[in-house]
Amino acid sequence: MKLSLTRTSLSSILAPLLCNSHPSHRPISSLSVSHRPTSLTPETTPLFLRPPTSSASLSDLLKFRNWAETLSSSAGASFSAQDNGPDTHLLLRELTWLLEDALENPKTLAYCNPSAVSNDLLVSLRTDLEELYTLWKQRIDERRPFQYIVGCEHWRDLVLGVREGVLIPRPETEQVVELVSDAIKGNDELGDGLWADLGTGSGAIAIGIARILRDRGMVIATDLSPVAVEVASFNVQRYNLQDKVVIRQGSWFGPLKEAEGDLVGIVSNPPYIPTEHINGLQAEVKHEPRLALDGGTDGIGDLLYLCNGAVSMLKPGGFFAFETNGEKQCKFLLDYMETKVKGSFNDINIVSDFAGIQRFVTGFRTR
Amino acid sequence: MEGAALSHSLLQRPLYASTTVVLASPKSARIKLPLSPQNPIILCHHHSHPLLSSSHRPVAAPSLPVRCSSTVMSATPEAGVSAETSEWAMQDFYTLRRDVETTSQRVEEIRASAGLKQLKEDLANLEKASADSSFWDDRAKAQQTLMALTDVKDKIQLLSEFKSQVEDAETIVMLTEEMDSTDKGLLEEASSIIRELNKALDQFELTQLLSGPYDKEGAVISITAGAGGTDAQDWADMLLRMYVRWGEKQRYKTKVVEKSIGEEAGIKSATIELEGRYAYGYLSGEKGTHRIVRVSPFNAKGLRQVHEQFKLIQDRYVLVNLGSSSDPFNKLKGAMEPSRSNRLHHRSGSVLTSFSGVEVMPLLPEESMDVEIPEEDLDISFTRAGGKGGQNVNKVETAVRITHIPTGVAVRCTEERSQLANKIKALSRLKAKLLVITMEQRASEIKQIRGDAVKADWGQQIRNYVFHPYKLVKDVRSGYETSDIASVMDGELDPFIKAYLRHKYSISMSSSGAV
Repeated sequence: MKLSLTRTSLSSILAPLLCNSHPSHRPISSLSVSHRPTSLTPETTPLFLRPPTSSASLSDLLKFRNWAETLSSSAGASFSAQDNGPDTHLLLRELTWLLEDALENPKTLAYCNPSAVSNDLLVSLRTDLEELYTLWKQRIDERRPFQYIVGCEHWRDLVLGVREGVLIPRPETEQVVELVSDAIKGNDELGDGLWADLGTGSGAIAIGIARILRDRGMVIATDLSPVAVEVASFNVQRYNLQDKVVIRQGSWFGPLKEAEGDLVGIVSNPPYIPTEHINGLQAEVKHEPRLALDGGTDGIGDLLYLCNGAVSMLKPGGFFAFETNGEKQCKFLLDYMETKVKGSFNDINIVSDFAGIQRFVTGFRTR
Repeated sequence: MEGAALSHSLLQRPLYASTTVVLASPKSARIKLPLSPQNPIILCHHHSHPLLSSSHRPVAAPSLPVRCSSTVMSATPEAGVSAETSEWAMQDFYTLRRDVETTSQRVEEIRASAGLKQLKEDLANLEKASADSSFWDDRAKAQQTLMALTDVKDKIQLLSEFKSQVEDAETIVMLTEEMDSTDKGLLEEASSIIRELNKALDQFELTQLLSGPYDKEGAVISITAGAGGTDAQDWADMLLRMYVRWGEKQRYKTKVVEKSIGEEAGIKSATIELEGRYAYGYLSGEKGTHRIVRVSPFNAKGLRQVHEQFKLIQDRYVLVNLGSSSDPFNKLKGAMEPSRSNRLHHRSGSVLTSFSGVEVMPLLPEESMDVEIPEEDLDISFTRAGGKGGQNVNKVETAVRITHIPTGVAVRCTEERSQLANKIKALSRLKAKLLVITMEQRASEIKQIRGDAVKADWGQQIRNYVFHPYKLVKDVRSGYETSDIASVMDGELDPFIKAYLRHKYSISMSSSGAV
């Protein structure tokens, strides 16, 4: 039982999936947002991509920085004591990055004596100074996540646009792309097929996989949230991957019925935090969409759903990788697969993240 | 032996600031010495050395006599022209004669220390080899031989040019002595020859000094505050500023890529990247422990004792947005001022010693590092955000630390915004570091590095900076010292760098016994 999937058969599978680009075949409903160019308002464009339409004098910019530094220092230890939030050190790092994104030419961090610098030295900015004050006040007073402030997150070798309504991709999740890469190294045929990223959010994993696949297979990414679909489409286009990544709006496997039994890989970072933990989360996290975080009573509901779906959706030999909340969920999932859906999967593994926490469950659909 | 003699003469060698002073003052332009276009000295024979070009600035060594100070003084426009000219010419002649003698001596020393005799033998051997009928059988080897041949030829030609140049100048001096009157044109030509020749000699010497495999590359400097809290962290910050200023003076692309602020003042650590030719060659000798002796500017609580000064220091870290077109850089440069050292003296209190460690690595392009480190030799750790991780936490904590297990060599990268990016950069730095250690230990590959030697090598103290009770910066290796501590802290490191390079050169000459 060899996994074989030629380029031709792939496109035939994809034909119905790709039909969004031909509205005549299928009416656009609210559930089938295509990857048409997404026009973002200036508000939602990541700061570093905005045109440098503003400017400020160097001394005013320094005043802002001093103010922001003082504010960060005073917030200092209290955030981390409160809810394991960022300490002064991290806040200052964020501030550096905010300025990096806001300045047109952030290249030099130079030493000079501002009292002697002429005040008229103008610095080009991608947002006005007043907005910078507002943003940093939001950062400290409201604990608005830094990534929403600058509208982007650096993830792997990508810079992904993010905004309120879409989960900020976590560093732990970078590893999912490595897991996929390793799986393809182990079985080259996986590189030619159709991959699915379910609950894609900003599109991070989907884009990461698409770049590994290069000119071979394809990725279809789904998300229930229209904001996520919009943001993911923006990111896919920014990396010029619109021919490799299809974004579909819908719940889990919903938008890919046509691909049943044809997927070579399924990856997902579903909501997995138990509902009762939501209130105690770090203040920043509470700004993120609950839809992407809250995994129900035990936090395991969606993972089990994905697990069951994978049985029918994966091709024999197909690979899966799911992110979980930790050891407890990993073990539960492993046990479930070995007993409840016995025989469906093989080589099931628990993989720890960089902090040593059991984070991922991976395996293959039995051939 | 010759090497030691060479370095000795180098230290004694007077600076030829005279012409520079004259040229820098347009009012005395009538004695301006034109760069003679027919001068056959090849100045751009080798790669340009930023250090060299700055070595002729009048500020380079204030303790050395400036040759023609009297020249400039008397060459004021108000003075009578004809009488003045002859007087100037006589004085200048004596100066010139001395310069020619010194330069002649220098040329001889350089020709000797460069092993002219050996070079000629090498040339003969290489020519013989290339004339062999089987020469092209091994193409790669043939290429190497031809390149070596060109190098040796160039070097010999350069050395003979030095000799003929200085002989030209000597002839002019002799002619002038025999003539009753001085020929101003001739003297100017001799003066110009000597000036250009000394530049060429400087350059030749530096090429000899900077011949390590990575010397041409850019550099990464990491500064780490030693134990001792705020004072040590403040000291690390001062060093950071010193190197940034030095880099800017060299016109290197200088970037502070990472800075970890201390709790009260100063920095715990910082990383600077300097892009530009020979940055690593110049800076590699800065590696080691730098020690400061001063009266602490901080009180018991670690607060700077004068609040305004604290503000000033905070303000000095200015994020400057430099447009490439209009280059407001010079505008800023003019505004920079040496500030910190001045305030440290008028305070009574106990004298305190602090340390900071400086590490220097070459900035190697990824493709130039042809090394694979086995995965199992690497211990890669990431900063933990704490708590449950994953979706539960949102922190911009992306630092990566990589330890090379067999040697214990470790690097940390925090400046990038994603973990993967930090990991890639850290790995590249680790490779550079291991390559340098391999070279230093004269090992043939990373596997041969002796880990115990690596650790022992780090703590070496290389320089003392004494602010109190007297002012002195002294390099413990080369012995070079200056009392102008303010300039040093302002990035005037060239004399130290050169002195160390010469020191290193003379040691390697005497230890290898080569002439």
